[in-house]
Amino acid sequence: MGTAAHTETELSLVERMKEGDPSAYKHAVRHYSPSMLAVARFYLDHANADEVVQDCWVSVIDAIQKFEGRSGLKTWLHRIVANRCKNQIRSSSREVVTDFSDSLDPDLANRFKPSGRWKAPPQARFHESAEALMETEALNDCLDKHLSALPETQRSALMLYEAHQHASGEVCNILDVSASNLRVLLHRARQKVFLMVEAFQETGEC
Amino acid sequence: MLMCRDLARIASDYIDDELGTRQNLSVKVHLMMCKGCRTFIDNLRTSTELMTYHSSFKVDEDFLRRIDERVTDALKAHQSGKSNQD
Ligand SMILES: [Zn+2]
Repeated sequence: MGTAAHTETELSLVERMKEGDPSAYKHAVRHYSPSMLAVARFYLDHANADEVVQDCWVSVIDAIQKFEGRSGLKTWLHRIVANRCKNQIRSSSREVVTDFSDSLDPDLANRFKPSGRWKAPPQARFHESAEALMETEALNDCLDKHLSALPETQRSALMLYEAHQHASGEVCNILDVSASNLRVLLHRARQKVFLMVEAFQETGEC
Repeated sequence: MLMCRDLARIASDYIDDELGTRQNLSVKVHLMMCKGCRTFIDNLRTSTELMTYHSSFKVDEDFLRRIDERVTDALKAHQSGKSNQD
């Protein structure tokens, strides 16, 4: 979250990192790299994103000494990644191109009549809760596959907001998007997940 | 009047409670009358919750090991830099 909600483990992890404890770094690298990559891939292609995340970890060794805990460690790391990406984009004058023009996914848009009513309404409620659904291994794999096919921008927004539970103001900051554009990214990504789970429930296949 | 397609456009805002009072009310009224949209909202909400349980972005172990190596080297350089100053 955006507020400085520190757990005991996070504080002791930071202390150990400040002391240069290699095992603390090993733990932190595993814990925080996935979401740091989500941030980096919002801005950069895969190869450059990988590189930025690696460089960030090296820079953290010095920077952590100045970490005062005003934000959580995760938020702090995400900001470092975002800033580095923004600098890189500025120097290469590459821009992040994203379509914010329609909040409706094209595949979902096809399911309405010209009048605006459903032509093909969702037939059934998903059988189980999200928690129970996640226990289906095939669905889990399917979700993996579809998430990796999402545009990076949508996926990063989804990851940071949903999976990593950042507050929306914080996600806007990290990804440098307006609040209304974040809403579009989130909604587009959620519709993809919805369409995927629906197809999976109907056919049993990914 | 709010049509199903309009509702689908703002469904996430409804789920996250980001709509203004008036729009929120017209969604609620529509949902009372429309089974398709009720199912849609329920399923979109479940889809959203799925993401909380799904910790994706599985990073490959090679990538993590490369970071470990660079961090280890940097830590060593850092330590020897410090002891040189002492
Ligand atoms: Zn409807």
